[in-house]
Amino acid sequence: MEAAPPLYASVACNLDADLLAAAYPLLEEGRVEALEWSFDALYWAEQVPEWFTNLLHTYAGAGRLVGHGVFFSLLSGKWSPEQQQWLAHLGQLAEQFRFDHITEHFGFFTGQNFHHGAPLPIPYTATALRIGQDRLRRIYDACCCPVGLENLAFAYTLDEVKRHGNFLEELLLPVNGFVILDLHNLYCQLHNFGVPYDELIALYPLERVREIHISGGSWHDSEQAPSQRIRRDTHDDAVPEEVFQLLELTMPRCPNLKFVVLEQLGHALHAEASRTQFREDFGRMESLVARHRAALRTLPTNDFRPQQTWPPSTAAEDEHLHRQQRQLSDILENAPSYAEAQRLLQASGLAHSDWRIEQWEPHMLETALHIARKWKT
Amino acid sequence: MKLPKAVLGAVLVGLTIQTTTSCVKEDVKPKEEKGSTKAPANCPACGMG
Repeated sequence: MEAAPPLYASVACNLDADLLAAAYPLLEEGRVEALEWSFDALYWAEQVPEWFTNLLHTYAGAGRLVGHGVFFSLLSGKWSPEQQQWLAHLGQLAEQFRFDHITEHFGFFTGQNFHHGAPLPIPYTATALRIGQDRLRRIYDACCCPVGLENLAFAYTLDEVKRHGNFLEELLLPVNGFVILDLHNLYCQLHNFGVPYDELIALYPLERVREIHISGGSWHDSEQAPSQRIRRDTHDDAVPEEVFQLLELTMPRCPNLKFVVLEQLGHALHAEASRTQFREDFGRMESLVARHRAALRTLPTNDFRPQQTWPPSTAAEDEHLHRQQRQLSDILENAPSYAEAQRLLQASGLAHSDWRIEQWEPHMLETALHIARKWKT
Repeated sequence: MKLPKAVLGAVLVGLTIQTTTSCVKEDVKPKEEKGSTKAPANCPACGMG
């Protein structure tokens, strides 16, 4: 009998007592088919406990460990020593663990400190493409396994939302990389920009989706759009019904899908009730994955390995983009009000530029201010 | 995926004796360099937004 195509119901699992306590019964029952590890989120720790390393090795040995980077800041205009260090660390980990793939986020990090800030989008320009493609090649060279990028939850305009999938694909093409399609991020955009699912999903390169994320989030009031609430990807609550529906609708459209991952932050899993809910969410995801897997008839058609190698080169940078990012970060983190942020932006180097700040939705600039300040410290 | 009993047992012991969270550590010795001895309250990895 032919083996079923691999498709794993997975958990984003970090060194977090609350998260591990919530997931432990699932691990014990053998239901967690793969792990995703945010390998760069332990930068503060000198030593990782052996029991956690052994857990990672067990999944890695079965080809079921994937790495999810957070802090690389793929689209920073300036190449930093911290990024070089990040790559060196990834290279060491890739020798230690056999990752099935490595992923990072779209965007650049606000904040001057490498580990404080939030990822935000940048204009989809030739400069961004050149820098992003160069950085993705460097990630591949460090880990020597398939490399992917996650769609961002945040956007300033509907036009940006609609072009996101295509730009992700352009970034990924040279490394033959893949997309992590975060369905809660997509849900945020469907809600915040009032775009229909069928219209938006058709704009994504679904044959490049190797991993799907599902998670929960939260609603926030907006002074700029009092009649609507803003959906944010805070990963601190149960998976909404709508996201399960998106999962059911989207899996059949992704012929190279291999991992479906439930993400939740540990700080939201302190109470027993939230842990029970986490396991119920996993159970529902597991059922949907099993049903989809049973219907699968074809094996993946893309191994997501690059078909070329690259000679050593200097890291791509752009000083103009870097200055704009510094200005934007400073405004988002320090402007005393929305009105002042607007005034500062209009007087900045971002005005009348590729950033198109004149078209930014007021409620999304307001949200960017909240996000940048949340992660500033 | 079935996990070896030894791995599961070690996780359980680790969880019991170490009240760690990935972002607020008490048991894992922090690095002293980079002025970053305090780990973030949670991770923008997932909580972006």
